[in-house]
Amino acid sequence: MTEADNPHELGEAEFRATVHSFEFWFEAVEGYLHGRPYGVSPGLEEVDLTERQRDGLITTLCNYCVGETAALDASSGMIGFAPDRGAKIFLATQVVDEGRHLEVLLHRMKQLGVADPDAEIARRANRSLLKFKDRLLEFVDARDWEASVFAQNVILECLEFTVFRHHAGTADPVTAEMLRGIVSDERRHMGFGENDLGRRLLTAPHTHDRLYKIKRQLDSLVLDTFAETMGELGIEREERPDLAGDYLAAVARLGFRS
Amino acid sequence: MVDFLSNYSIQKWLESCPQGYLEDTIYGHGADEREPEELLQNDDYREQQIRTTVQLIAGERCALAASSGLVNAAPDQASKTFLATQTLDEGRHVEIFTQRLFDLGVKPNDLESTIATYINPHLGKFAEVLLEKIDKKDFVAGVVGQNIVLEGMAFSVFEMLHAGAEAANPKFARTLSGTIADERRHVGFGENRIGDLIRRYPEKKPEVQRMQRDMTKHMLATFHEAFARNGGPAEARPSAPQKGKPAPTYQGLNMAEASNEEMEGALSATVLKEFKTRLGRIGLEYQSPV
Repeated sequence: MTEADNPHELGEAEFRATVHSFEFWFEAVEGYLHGRPYGVSPGLEEVDLTERQRDGLITTLCNYCVGETAALDASSGMIGFAPDRGAKIFLATQVVDEGRHLEVLLHRMKQLGVADPDAEIARRANRSLLKFKDRLLEFVDARDWEASVFAQNVILECLEFTVFRHHAGTADPVTAEMLRGIVSDERRHMGFGENDLGRRLLTAPHTHDRLYKIKRQLDSLVLDTFAETMGELGIEREERPDLAGDYLAAVARLGFRS
Repeated sequence: MVDFLSNYSIQKWLESCPQGYLEDTIYGHGADEREPEELLQNDDYREQQIRTTVQLIAGERCALAASSGLVNAAPDQASKTFLATQTLDEGRHVEIFTQRLFDLGVKPNDLESTIATYINPHLGKFAEVLLEKIDKKDFVAGVVGQNIVLEGMAFSVFEMLHAGAEAANPKFARTLSGTIADERRHVGFGENRIGDLIRRYPEKKPEVQRMQRDMTKHMLATFHEAFARNGGPAEARPSAPQKGKPAPTYQGLNMAEASNEEMEGALSATVLKEFKTRLGRIGLEYQSPV
């Protein structure tokens, strides 16, 4: 494997220039999107869902759309105050990723027979997630880079990564393949957040306390979102996966312990 | 409207752009294509090319700020997703033209100072007019300013540069052809999406037309200064290597023989004609800055 194949063998400046580029993004997504319109292999067959399963899935997809719209609005808004060209270009790739997630989720809802996805989203959106979205966009409107990266590329991406990964393990084959493609993108977005904030924390340790306070505010919204989502999916309390534990562990791996 | 917007989905964009005309390119050109040696070894040429490329970067940075700023202001999901693709297109353009500066010998540490040295001040004012509308989240004015005025200007400038570079600098010509294909899509969205909004909000017309007039004024000043300083595309000059091909032409002008005034006049006339046509299609009247 050459340096060009493995960016981790590059120096820091070169590493950032490489991974924050259109070229890197395209090579990354090509592997799992080529030949998969709307994120799904054309030959993949639908399985029959019960009415309850279908309804639960629609509610879940509506909430995924809320999260992805928040990420689309936030990542696009952050380009205007990103600190350097590499960050701006990385965020441009994230904008298209988030837009694609929204598009494939809406497409899936239409496949499930939803005639007016916008109306369904308004009707079924989870209140905690809407509050989270508002809080995130407040950070973006205030052009607060550290808080925005933290809320979006650490907290929201960890939330989505955790939920989508679990859901992909139990979902019907079409939904599962679509979600696996999204999870691959989320890994890249989390990596950006970890890298950007990691460097900042080294030079400004006091930032950690500030981000920790933000985390405490947002954690409660994230945990409420999990509880509501699993209730909507009709999962019995004793059968629910430990999404909260997984989420907190994912955030801790990025250096933000509870 | 829904049918028209479905042609601007991310799925369509993925198939036509990264998996289509950009397939097998690196920074928008073929992997084995390089800047011509003659250009790199001639300080005068190289500086002219650096100056030209800096203007492209400045324009694309403005387009990146504008398209990303419009996502949040878009009134529907389909417009948001189209603007997401445009955001990445513009980010890619910033990247490939920045890479071209590096290929022309600019050191990464000198990037910002090189841009500050060579940027045309009128282009900065042109961007300010547009970004003021974006800051106010004014979707209608923002899309007209970005997708009709800025993209219409970029489209014509790229075509002129492409005509000049086609024979003498295939690498740069290939880079430009990818951006031209992107700009064509952006202009198409602007025309299709905004016509409907202008009909619904006719009270927006005077303000939008004022913005168009101001942007046009700064654009023409940009062209004037650029041609006065730089002349036409460096590769189109009589002494440029044409690889045995006839001198390039643009709008009927022999680019190797035309004066700077003639080239400026041809480009300005082309852009203004495009503006009038496209603005007319969306129900706006072109406002002359004179």
